[in-house]
Amino acid sequence: MILIFLNQKLLISITKKILASNQQCKKLLNLTVPNQTKTNNPKVKLTDEQVIDKSAKWVVSFFIASAGLWLLAAALLAYIAAAKLTDPFFLSSFEYFTYGKVKIAQANAFVYGWGGNSIFAISIWIIARLSQAEVRGRVLLITSGVLWNLGITFGLLGILDGHMNSHEMLEMPNEVWPLLFISYAIITCLIIVVHRSRKYPDTIAPQWFILAAILWFPALFLIAWNGLEINPSPGTVQSVLSMWFGQNLIWLWLTPFALGVAYYIIPSIIGKPIDKYYLAIFGFWCIATLAPWSVVHHLEGGPVPMWIPAIGTVMSIAMIFPIAVASTNFHATAFKDIDKVWSSLPLRFVIFGTLSYTISSYIGVIFSLPSVAKLTQFSIINEFHFNQRVYGFFSMIVFGAVYHMLPKITGKEITKSAKSFHFWTSALGVMMLLLAYLIGGLTHGVLAQQPALDWTNSVIASIQPYFLITEISFIILGFSQLVFVINIWKVLVPNPFENTGRSKKFVSKASTV
Amino acid sequence: MNNIFKFSFGIFTTLAVAWLAFVVGARKQFGDLSPTSSVLNEDGNIPEDSDLYPVAFSGVAQQGAVEYLSLGCATCHTQQVRLVEAGFDVERGWGKRPSVARDYILQNEVNIGNTRVGPDLANLGMREYSDEWLHQHLFEPQSLNEKSICPPSPFLYDIKDSNVSGSIQIISEDNRTRLVKPRIKANRIVAYLQELRQDYELPEMSFVEEEESDASELVVVPTTSTQLPTWLADQISSGKEIYTKVGPGGGGCVSCHQPTGLGLPGAFPPLADSDWVLGDKERIIKISMHGLMGEIEVNGDKYNGVMIAPGVPPGSLTDQQIADVLTYIRNDWGNSASAVSPEEVANVRDFVKDRGQMQMWTAAELNSDK
Repeated sequence: MILIFLNQKLLISITKKILASNQQCKKLLNLTVPNQTKTNNPKVKLTDEQVIDKSAKWVVSFFIASAGLWLLAAALLAYIAAAKLTDPFFLSSFEYFTYGKVKIAQANAFVYGWGGNSIFAISIWIIARLSQAEVRGRVLLITSGVLWNLGITFGLLGILDGHMNSHEMLEMPNEVWPLLFISYAIITCLIIVVHRSRKYPDTIAPQWFILAAILWFPALFLIAWNGLEINPSPGTVQSVLSMWFGQNLIWLWLTPFALGVAYYIIPSIIGKPIDKYYLAIFGFWCIATLAPWSVVHHLEGGPVPMWIPAIGTVMSIAMIFPIAVASTNFHATAFKDIDKVWSSLPLRFVIFGTLSYTISSYIGVIFSLPSVAKLTQFSIINEFHFNQRVYGFFSMIVFGAVYHMLPKITGKEITKSAKSFHFWTSALGVMMLLLAYLIGGLTHGVLAQQPALDWTNSVIASIQPYFLITEISFIILGFSQLVFVINIWKVLVPNPFENTGRSKKFVSKASTV
Repeated sequence: MNNIFKFSFGIFTTLAVAWLAFVVGARKQFGDLSPTSSVLNEDGNIPEDSDLYPVAFSGVAQQGAVEYLSLGCATCHTQQVRLVEAGFDVERGWGKRPSVARDYILQNEVNIGNTRVGPDLANLGMREYSDEWLHQHLFEPQSLNEKSICPPSPFLYDIKDSNVSGSIQIISEDNRTRLVKPRIKANRIVAYLQELRQDYELPEMSFVEEEESDASELVVVPTTSTQLPTWLADQISSGKEIYTKVGPGGGGCVSCHQPTGLGLPGAFPPLADSDWVLGDKERIIKISMHGLMGEIEVNGDKYNGVMIAPGVPPGSLTDQQIADVLTYIRNDWGNSASAVSPEEVANVRDFVKDRGQMQMWTAAELNSDK
């Protein structure tokens, strides 16, 4: 109670400061809604937004296109891994495709390939739009992007070839990391250059979250790399550190980025400022201070000093504050205009993501309570946590952002039915996948706590049906992601065989929508 | 928040605080961890001439650790026995004591893992599997347990036509016999697995005292004896399968009544030497069809709970399955009573056909019907 009271006092003082920037926020976000009357007439001089979009066009297209390809690669690997759990003989004669390698390659392709590229694409665009400044260093951006993608390609091949590291989310071989780090650093610097040249000095929530996300990754990486490779820690400190890095990558890189995107997309589509915006700064600093502590609760009962998981548990429970803040901000704003959520597909994707974030983060808090963690600690619930973050939350918001952004930068509209098909297949696949992992994980955990049950014949045999469901879900998801990639590639790469009449139709359609 | 440098300073400070605690703090705490003896002198020093633990891996095993890592085995296998209050790892027989930080102090690559789709391997070397068994398991786990979902690793072996030295015979599920010779990687992995053992006590952690192990002794009572007529032996073995299987097609009885048939005192009544199991057949047939709720007295002890009808979904067992599983529980763990035939089950089912599927019996109701 005292804590809440203190926070309220603090908030009132913060509110006064923020109210000014709230107006600013409205102003800034309203500017980003394209002005239909101007775009209809090509003779009118380009608006500021169009100049920015034009400057971002090639860079963003490059990153989105490569993100799409990585998404497909990850979907294929995810299917192989899932199929190997239902049929252990599937591809078993190839050393390159052991279950462990494929599973880890999939996570890396997903987080660094799809996650990394889409973070670059969307943050370049959003930061440029919010700064009202053009993207700079385009050639350098694309060159670094090529290096980043090459690094991941070699890294994944290295994993499949048996040069895996043992550290969570740092499994790619050591040789590729300097390359990845340098290309990442260049891209980050160029984004910050754009941010520094902004027209309005006041910053708003999407900027904090996105900038923090892109700045946290290199910091985390340097800490982990120092403690694991340059100056290796003894024994299980390595495990603590690698878990800290792996979980923080999701909590401090993917999560704040996706939250920032949601803070941007929701008000700019709805056309209304964020409800209870003064809470956003509280939510932001809560994540910044609590998340790095909360992630180690998975080590409960393990061979590490006992205070580490204990602190992790306490901080995980405290995470309900930032979750509640984000959820209030997003949903109170979105439900002001529920019809818009339904009719605008980008917004529908984003709201799906934020709802999924809220619900499953609360589930995550419950699972960090020691009495529950005891049951679920080593079960396939871990897959639930990972997949709900990267599929249910991060990817859904990125899909929404891409659908919102692409028509603006390319001037071409993606057909509504294709987007809608993509939405429903993704939603179905994600929900099936998460439910299977959630229920399967609980079954797994509860049965594993019964020492009398035989491991293979009772415990694992009873979660086999759930593995089959995940396999089916990954097929649905793969299919849906194929639709997504076709959707975006159709816009990004104009079909050379298409006759001109048809592409004209495209343009006219885009301008009327 | 508006100045990017102040902003970065803020967000890096929050990160650095956590880093200081977890990494620098833990590292400092680990700084003086080194191999030690099982028992320390009174003055806290290591007694002279005592063995020091943990012991470093042999060279082959260290290479094996690298192969283990590169094949991704750690994705499904943990190598940590949790504290007694955090889980039932010790009871499951995965170690004599919980693992502590000192156990891993000499390992280059620490593979403690975070998901257990396969069993924990922290003490695999203590389970006394032969090298040959481990090789068989690596080559084709399904040749040892057909339900295993561990993917085979045939690429670690050369298939031979004749019996050369060091070759191992594998009999697959479909009775195909093959001779295989392990490649160097396989030998390294097996050497590594055999050295995974925390079979020593440390000053900070001693072996968990074993409670009376009467449960495990009872497990080894043979379930079928050769003198039994074939039809009865068939019924018993099929019944045992239904009893132990949790999930579709099984009864799931084992999760409450335990493989020992002893139940859990105070929660689930025993089946072994139980007056209900060995008594009137009609009562237990009814329970198997609809379940049971409320107070029940078994061998003089009172239990109060709910037993949903066995099967997935509840109550889906056929007459034959009910007959089999009842015959099994009447003839295992030292029980010996007449078999239950499918006809008897069918008669009872006919008799109670007006009863709703979900309408559970109570003990009083069953006893008054008699």
